Formats: sequence, structure tokens, C-alpha cells
Amino acid sequence: MAVSALTAARPAPHHQLQVEHLGHHFDANAVLSDISLNVADNEIVAIVGPSGCGKTTLLRTCAGLLQPTAGVVRRIDHSVGFVFQEPALLAWRRVAHNAALLSASETLVERLLVISGLSEHRNKWPYQLSGGMKMRLSLVRTLAAAPSLVLLDEPFGALDQITRHRLHDEFARLHTEQGFAALMVTHAIDEAVYLADRVVVMSHAPGRIVGEFAVPFARTRTNSLRYSSEFGEVCGLIAQCLEAYA
Amino acid sequence: MNLSQRTRKLWPPLAVFGAIVGGWYALAYSLDNNFASGDGSALIIPPPHQLFVGLNETTVDRIVSATFISASTALVGLLISVVIGMLFGIVMNMSRALESALWPWLIGLQVTPIIVLTPIIVRVVGPTFGARVLVTVLIAFFPIASNTLFGLRSVSRPLHDLFTLAEFSQRQRLVQLELPAASPAIFAGMRVSAGLAVIGAVVGDFFFTRGTPGLGRLITYFFQDTRSGPMFVTALVAAFLGLGFFIAVESLRRLIVSPWHQT
Repeated sequence: MAVSALTAARPAPHHQLQVEHLGHHFDANAVLSDISLNVADNEIVAIVGPSGCGKTTLLRTCAGLLQPTAGVVRRIDHSVGFVFQEPALLAWRRVAHNAALLSASETLVERLLVISGLSEHRNKWPYQLSGGMKMRLSLVRTLAAAPSLVLLDEPFGALDQITRHRLHDEFARLHTEQGFAALMVTHAIDEAVYLADRVVVMSHAPGRIVGEFAVPFARTRTNSLRYSSEFGEVCGLIAQCLEAYA
Repeated sequence: MNLSQRTRKLWPPLAVFGAIVGGWYALAYSLDNNFASGDGSALIIPPPHQLFVGLNETTVDRIVSATFISASTALVGLLISVVIGMLFGIVMNMSRALESALWPWLIGLQVTPIIVLTPIIVRVVGPTFGARVLVTVLIAFFPIASNTLFGLRSVSRPLHDLFTLAEFSQRQRLVQLELPAASPAIFAGMRVSAGLAVIGAVVGDFFFTRGTPGLGRLITYFFQDTRSGPMFVTALVAAFLGLGFFIAVESLRRLIVSPWHQT
């Protein structure tokens, strides 16, 4: 495994998710091979890799939606939130009801609706929302359950760039407020670097980890970071690793 | 929708209505011997303005009571079809084994013309209201069963995953996710079944030779009359009954589904 630490690793923290030697295959097709990774409290880890390398399978296995055919997945807490590629909203429930679907705290739902700018749209039906608003609502619904671990499967992939950048900042703000751990799958290297503390690179199928990069930028990050040479340099290193194993 | 848009939307069906009435008049006055009775009334096809000629109080009473019989049969049959059809859809969705066991029989029942089953049902059950309803259910429940199954199967995997991760029970999943998601498809099936329920109630009635006649038996009675007006009025009433059922189901769909479901 090629490991490239751009900054010194932080002291060993408490892990919300531990994956050890994970493997998975569908019939004769090996999808994942010998994956080991941890996600610590309050940490965001991003996974990048070519299409079909098993990123979504890894995420579904981490969530407990799939049983791995090899290895172990340990979740410290049962409160796992999942943000899907599509918003997956209940079309027959208004915005406020969708936000409250998984939550036991009305106060938290209200606060998240306000923070996300959806409060004034609370009585709308999902079809009346834009793509970005739907994704925001999906995030709010997940975070309203106050999960200690959030798994995100290319949550911003279908959005235009401006909306995506806005949602990145919103997600980062919510993460700062709630302090959850997150494992995020994405195709966009700049998204991974902007949001994550660590970026893990996967090879093509059967997916295995071929690179791990600690992101050297302190929180809170602002949009200007995206245009800095350091940001471009980190993105370039990850892209090189990705291309080498694609 | 403003007035001019509504007017524009009304024009096409009104034009078709005009063409039908025009064609009706043309047919009525082009048939040989249609007015050979001597008193001006039509023997074969009455022109629209003569439809109600020859309708006395007794005839109207018979049509009203037949309409009540057919409407109540269709209504009870449709309600039972909704319950049974949804139950079949839910059960088949729960188990592929049950689906493969039941589905061929449902298809077999659906493709068998109801007209050949009706005398068997009347022979076995007797000429009762229950038998009339049974005929209606047999013809009307399939679209609801198949659409319920289709609707339940169309729930996306992420939504199922969401409910799995949140540890919702099977019942919660059915009530809060699957049935609401399937409701547009279920209502589409109900719209078809509404028309079929009226067809079942009228066609099945042909074989009910005892008790108060429904619209089916009444039309065969008027068929033997020299005046064709009452037969046409009965046929029109049956058509409007079917339309009424369709409109009722469509109104319910608009109330329950349309606010959130964009078609």
C-alpha cells in the first residue's frame, strides 16, 4: 500500500468505525479485497476511486446493509446515518415531515431546518424543491437523528458546481456543530480534499486501498482555499495516485 | 388556469361530442324502416331529441331501481376488489414463492371471460346479491392486485435502506413507505377497476333471472320492446354510471395523490 502522509498523523483517537481486512464478492466477482481503515471521532474520511471499484459496496458494508464475505466491520455506536447518492425523500411527506422522519428531537430538527435555510420551505412537497435543496433536506434528515457516524455515498455528485460548493460549506458547518465522524465516497478529488481530514484512494475492482493522504489544511476551510496552490498540489498528488492504480 | 385556457381545453371534447351527435342523427335518419311505426317514434335508433319519448312513470321507476341495484353491486364489488386486490399485491410482494404460486391463477382468472363464469356462479351461489358482487369482484380486482404489486416493487433501494438502517418494523415499512409509494399505481389500477366493476355488475346481471332486475336484465327486456327509446336510455344510464365511478375514483386520487405526485 502506498501511504503518503502530508502532515504528521494526530495521536491515536477513539474510533467510530473500524474496518479490518474486509473483502466482498458477488458470486464469483471479487468487489473488495483486504480493506482496512478507521474513522475516528469527529473525523471526516473521504474515499476516492474509479467507477466500479466497490466504493458503494464498502459503504453499504460499513453501514451493515451488506454482510462482508471476509474481514470485520466494527461500529462503536448503532446510530449510523446514511446519505445516499439520490436524496431518497418521501414524496408524500412535506419538507418538515421528511426532516423529522428519523429524529426524536423536534428542537434539533427545527434548528437544522433553520441552519440549512429550509425552514421557510417547511410546508413544501419534495417535488417543489431544487436539486440542491433536496440534497440539503436529505442531509438534515440524516443529521436530525444525531448519528455518531455518517456514511455519505457521493451526496453532491448530481449538483452543479456552485450549489455543490455551497453545500460543502454547509456540511462542514454542520460537522463542526455536531461533531460526528464521517466516511464519504466521492468522485471529486477537490471535494474530498476540501471536506476531509484524510483521503483514501482505492484501486479498480477488486477495490483495495492504494493510497492514504492526510489533508494538511486546518478547519474551518473557506472557499478561497480551493484556489490556492497548496490545495491544487494536494489534489494533484491524489490524482496521480488514482491514475497510477486506475 | 384562466378562462381562455379552460375554454381551449373544453373545445376538443365538445367537438367530438358534436360529431357523435351529428353521426347519431345521420344514422337514425338514414336507416330504412326506422320510422315505420307510423306514430313518428323510432323503431331501431331514436334520434337524440326522441330519446325520452315513450318513457312513462313505470319505465322510469324500473330504470331507477335497476340503476340502484347495479350501482350498489358495482360499489360493493369495487370496495371488496380494492381490499382483496391490495391484499393479493401485498402478499405477493412479501414472498416470491407466493407470487409464483398465485400469479398464474390470477392471470388465468383475468383472461377467462366473466360471461362464462357468471352462470356457474349463479348455479353454485344462487341468484343473490352476493353472487352479483362476486361476479363484479372477479372482473374488477385484478388491475388493483397487479398495480399494487408493481407499485410496492417500485420503491427505490435507498428508501428501503433508509428504513432498514432506522430499524423500522415490517409493518411500519409497509404503512409508512411501501403503500404511500405505491398509491399512484394503486389508484391507476382503481381507475380501471371502477369501469370494470360497472361492467361486471351489468354483464353479470344478464343471468339473474329472479329478483329486481339490474341494468343488464332491464336492457334485455327493453330489447324486446318495439320502442327503442327505453333501451337507449338504459344504455346511457349504464354509461353514465361507469363514468360516475371513474370520476369518483379520479376525484379521490386527486385528493390523496395529486398534491405530492407529479404525473
